[in-house]
Amino acid sequence: MTELPGRRTSPRILLVHTVTFRQARQFVPALIPLVAVTGFGGGRTTIILLAVGITLLSLLTATLTWWRFSYADGSSAVVVTRGLLSRSVRTVPTDRIRGVEVETPLLHRLFGLVRVRIDAAAGAVSGNDEELVVDGVPRDEGDRLRTAVLSRRAAPATEPGVDGVVAPEPPDEEFARFDNRWLLYAPLVGSYLAIPAAAVGAGFRLLDELGHNVRPELKRLDLGGGWVPAVSIAGVLLLLLAVGAVIGAALVNWGFTLDRRGGSLIAVRGLLTRRHTELEIDRIRGGTVSEGLGMRWMRAARINALVTGLGDAARRGQLLPLGPRASAWALIRRLVDDPGPLVAHPPAARRRSIVRAVATGLLVSGVGIAATVAAGWWWILAAGIGLTVLGVPLGLGRYASLGHAAGPRSFSVRSGWLVREQVILQRRAVVGWRVRQSFFQRRAGLATVVACVGAGTGGYAAVDLAAADVASFTAAASEPWAAEFAHR
Amino acid sequence: MPAVASPVRDPAWQVSRGAVGLWVTEGIIGAVVLAIGAAAFLLFVPASVGGPVPFLRWAIPILVAVDAVVTVGVRPRLRYRVHRWEVTDEAVYTLTGWLSRTWTLVPISRIQTVDVTRGVMQQLFGLASVAVLTASSEGTVRVPHLEADVAQRVADDLARRAAQVRDQAT
Repeated sequence: MTELPGRRTSPRILLVHTVTFRQARQFVPALIPLVAVTGFGGGRTTIILLAVGITLLSLLTATLTWWRFSYADGSSAVVVTRGLLSRSVRTVPTDRIRGVEVETPLLHRLFGLVRVRIDAAAGAVSGNDEELVVDGVPRDEGDRLRTAVLSRRAAPATEPGVDGVVAPEPPDEEFARFDNRWLLYAPLVGSYLAIPAAAVGAGFRLLDELGHNVRPELKRLDLGGGWVPAVSIAGVLLLLLAVGAVIGAALVNWGFTLDRRGGSLIAVRGLLTRRHTELEIDRIRGGTVSEGLGMRWMRAARINALVTGLGDAARRGQLLPLGPRASAWALIRRLVDDPGPLVAHPPAARRRSIVRAVATGLLVSGVGIAATVAAGWWWILAAGIGLTVLGVPLGLGRYASLGHAAGPRSFSVRSGWLVREQVILQRRAVVGWRVRQSFFQRRAGLATVVACVGAGTGGYAAVDLAAADVASFTAAASEPWAAEFAHR
Repeated sequence: MPAVASPVRDPAWQVSRGAVGLWVTEGIIGAVVLAIGAAAFLLFVPASVGGPVPFLRWAIPILVAVDAVVTVGVRPRLRYRVHRWEVTDEAVYTLTGWLSRTWTLVPISRIQTVDVTRGVMQQLFGLASVAVLTASSEGTVRVPHLEADVAQRVADDLARRAAQVRDQAT
């Protein structure tokens, strides 16, 4: 390929990186013993000197990184050259590029910069190594780079236009738009609840590092027991957790839109960090509709696309981060044919589900009987009986989630109780079938069928299908080769 | 074969007879290791320690003995009876397992790579395994313990045919 002039990132990124200590962060482990040797307790001057020193170090490393970094997008490949001492040149052929993501963290936005991530995942391999990051180009250049790379990949035969004039086309079709009222669903989703919890954890770590003299006297908060304060504290904590989840969800999903532009779906979202993700519709093989226990009460659902060869798919594949079930289904029907209503699994599956759910309780009860006789520990028996009784609705709930369906061009499987997940996949998505039958499943005439798919988690299971239905389901849900399963 | 019918057709061909010898040898090695561990327990942990130790002193040797009988005497033969494989015009098809069973079917058009591996023990018995990989992490077919020359021929044949019929390899 021809030698291309390397492009540089904007010098304004130096400021961003200096402030965030992006490159200097790696020296922190080395600095800690240094600080320990010089002694932190040297008064105000030492601290000021240290702060100035670290900032200068940060500026220096940021400058070096910026100076040694260049990128070039040619007609056949994207080349990134970097490295302080040892030079590394990474060349990613344009046809290997799976997607381009443009994100704008808050500081970047202040300086009018964006960060471009070019995803070059190879097959099922995941990891940061599969990504080219061009950090800190002006917004226009970011858009140009994204459009240039994607248009070349989409049409390798045609000569791309003059660089820099590819204007962002208007959206062809709007697929989804986030309604801010949907943020109220956030406390029902585990991952959003984790955001305030993580913040609290980080706060405690900070307190720990501040040392004893700075730490506020928490002991004085010690309450004199009693139910009322305990309950009200728990209530306040729960409320804070819910509010935190809503705020967390708002930060990530603010202004979410999903548009189709040509052959791609474009998702834009985020309050502080704007993210701009592009998914090629041709690579979308299906989607998952997940509904947690709480979300089912409120008729809410989330949608993830299953895209072949997508790195970091859990984040990038999100088509609807949170919303009413009806909107979720309307959206997924636009991407994959609806395979029709789910078929329930046989009664043997219900029996198996209940037996599995009460097994733990029965085991604990058995131990409990022995313990009651031997040592008078009746509470183990009580816990065992409690678990057994709770196991019945759990087993029934798990069974109620099970279902499968095969339509003319797509199929669907559903399972899970805590988070019920329904997967809808195109027939062509299936790259193999795996049928599993445990000893007990064989006795009960059941089998678990896993559709192997080169997207998402790699396999989606129809749990406890009637053994007699396996061959017909696999034949209906994938291309003709699955007929090999049929008895001859 | 089992009284209950299989959910799907069983593949046609059995693995190499040498596989039984290999599995028995592996079982013996595992049993010896466990026996050494149990002997060390009996030697170094006296019953006077108290707690569950007196119970464990007779439970562990029994468990080790039962495990040895199963892994050496029962499992290799059962596995040999269950394990089957087949390469048809369109697909690679295997059945593995002994108590629980797994049937895996992968069409040749979706094969991405074909590997032949020969472990140390396999070399002693002149065996090799074929692994057929697809774009899915779940969709890997492993045909264990074929005669080495058969495995090589199968792998070459599959790789050649996959290159001819490969469609959108996902």
